Amino acid sequence: MLKRSRELIQAYQQAPWRRQMQVIGFIAAGLVAVSLVGALYLNITARAATAGRQVQNLQSDVADLEQKIEDLKTELAFIASVESMQQRAADLGFKPLSPNALTYLSVPEYQGRPSGAQLAPRAGAQFSAAARLPAEYTQSLFDWLSQLLGVLGGF
Amino acid sequence: MPREHTWRYLSTALFFGLIGLLIFWRAYSVQTGDQATAFLNQSEYFSRLLKTIYPPRGEIYDRNGNLLAGNRTVYEIGVDLASLKEQDPKAIALALSALVGSDYNRVLEILAQAKSQNLIYVVATDYVLPEKVDLLKSYNVNLPPEEDDSFLCSNDPALAALICRPHLARSYPERDLASNLLGFVTQDSNGNFGIEQQYQDLLAGQPENIWVPTDPNRVQELPQVPGGSSLVLTIDRQIQAMVEDILDEHIEKTASDSGTAIVMDPRTGEILAMTSTPRLDLNDYQEYVNIFTDSKPYNRAVGQIYEPGSIFKVVTMAAAIDLGLVTPETVYLDKGIFNFGGISIRNWNGQAWGEQTMLGCLQHSLNVCLAEVGSRVGQENFYRYVEAFGFGYPTGVDLFNEATGTVRTPDETGWYPADLATNTFGQGLAVTPMQMVMAVSAFINDGKMVIPHIVKAVVQDGSQYNLSPQYAGQPISEETAHTMAQMLTDSLEMESSKALVPGYRLAGKTGTAQIPTDNGTYDLNQTNTSFVGWGPVDDPRFIVFVWLERPETSIWASEVAAPLFADIVERLVVLMNIPPDAQRVVAQEN
Repeated sequence: MLKRSRELIQAYQQAPWRRQMQVIGFIAAGLVAVSLVGALYLNITARAATAGRQVQNLQSDVADLEQKIEDLKTELAFIASVESMQQRAADLGFKPLSPNALTYLSVPEYQGRPSGAQLAPRAGAQFSAAARLPAEYTQSLFDWLSQLLGVLGGF
Repeated sequence: MPREHTWRYLSTALFFGLIGLLIFWRAYSVQTGDQATAFLNQSEYFSRLLKTIYPPRGEIYDRNGNLLAGNRTVYEIGVDLASLKEQDPKAIALALSALVGSDYNRVLEILAQAKSQNLIYVVATDYVLPEKVDLLKSYNVNLPPEEDDSFLCSNDPALAALICRPHLARSYPERDLASNLLGFVTQDSNGNFGIEQQYQDLLAGQPENIWVPTDPNRVQELPQVPGGSSLVLTIDRQIQAMVEDILDEHIEKTASDSGTAIVMDPRTGEILAMTSTPRLDLNDYQEYVNIFTDSKPYNRAVGQIYEPGSIFKVVTMAAAIDLGLVTPETVYLDKGIFNFGGISIRNWNGQAWGEQTMLGCLQHSLNVCLAEVGSRVGQENFYRYVEAFGFGYPTGVDLFNEATGTVRTPDETGWYPADLATNTFGQGLAVTPMQMVMAVSAFINDGKMVIPHIVKAVVQDGSQYNLSPQYAGQPISEETAHTMAQMLTDSLEMESSKALVPGYRLAGKTGTAQIPTDNGTYDLNQTNTSFVGWGPVDDPRFIVFVWLERPETSIWASEVAAPLFADIVERLVVLMNIPPDAQRVVAQEN
């Protein structure tokens, strides 16, 4: 073993370029490691940025869609307005009914049309929380690590 | 490595090392030097954008869920001054004046002013309808139209600086239907008149300013800005449309100056329809100044007071019965004149009607009889009842700018004993139609007055809050209320009134009132004619009040207001699915 070590030391002393190669090798390995970490970081950052941009676009889409829904509701109300419906009824040959032309039928236990529109559940009902951004889009690496450690610490 | 090259390597390494040090030193000095704060602020400024989120204004529905007031997209058209070329302003002004209706010179003036102030963006016009923006997007016929979702307004290179930003604005699908009670929203997002002003805070919601990071790595969830609350009204749009149509028809037929009508559910105080003239297409609210000239009230039903005339006799009679001074059968000898407080009261036809019961006094609407009954009630009691019936106070109806009316009482200066005599038959005091309707509701609700209201439910944060009826006190006993209801039913039937509708028992009272002039006398040729009634008598489902101002075909309410009441009721019973009394009673018995 000692002999083998001496042989190696002698070989390096005889060829100093080997020592230089070793230094270069260490530096190169360090550079490769830094490059790998950098590439990984860039990759993750780029993906996070893309996801973030997608979220922004989706938020914009939500706003657009909400606006379109408002538009369509109002447009529908214009189409179904009293004036419009009366005109359509008149075009189809309908006329306003007089009390004399009306026959009422007694339907046992029929309560009639419910009074008043119900546009939403009555106050007091429970609702599930609105959809939120998943944690992956909002937490940092450190947040994720601490959460993970917290979970692991629980075991 | 040859030793003679060593100095080259060392000098190169030294050079790059020095550059590196210089970079570090500069970075350090920038971050700690005098300019550090400025740079920090600048980076902070560009790292986020201030965005104001305007919640959509709450919608307004009728009682069956039909939209009466909603929102629709309109566009703000602005100019990106940085990309504006020399010839562009004229092209922009021309395009906006031709397609959007802007003033050519005004647009040029706005652009010139903005340029001189070194602005980067200026609003040329706003609230432009999508149809007009579509015309701009395909302005150049030789080029494909601009995309719908693009901020660019036009496909024409000369209009490349035009930016179209969509936003929501109020829209009224029913146009002028129920306009007197809805009110309108102006471009500053403020409600004017009616529901829009009364419930401005609830409908508008709270705009929220938020900072949005420009760095996508720092994207955050946008806060949920709650929209304005939506309102469900008690109005039924079919009944509303019917009442408006019939009122307009009668105004034309009787050549009246204006008209007012209210339909209310007497049990709950829910107003099913309310209208007056003139009306306004709410999508074109700028016409308000041309339509409502000479201080015309926006909603006469709650905003205008008038001398009610004989319709007010029901209050006097109710007070006398409630005090036990008279009964429907009490006999009165009408001599055609009654002197009180220094004035002489005469009947509407100037004649003596001889022996009459109290029912006859109401049926023939005798001023002399009611004035004498009022004098027996006494000033203290009479005004106590007037106050208890809510006259001189707002009814509490949830509409903006409700008038209170005018009632002079004995403890006020300017009151004379003669006022008691004239007040008993509705002269010398002023009320609103809404007050009259609320007072009459006491005869239907066992003596209790129901507070009229127009909002049935509020929809907020995904929940609906339904509102309950409220009562405004009990001016008369249950027994008096029943007696009055019976008297007003009988008097209408015995009079063979034009207000009657075959198949339905109705109760009601006409009111013909001369109109006071500026010099303190009454105009003998012009009247306010009104009628208030309800039905079916055994199960009241509606109170209808109508008022025609200064009709020309006849000055008598029995000739002009009563037929209007009958026409409304005839259609109302169909829309409310109320079978004739005979069929309804049989159905109930089965």
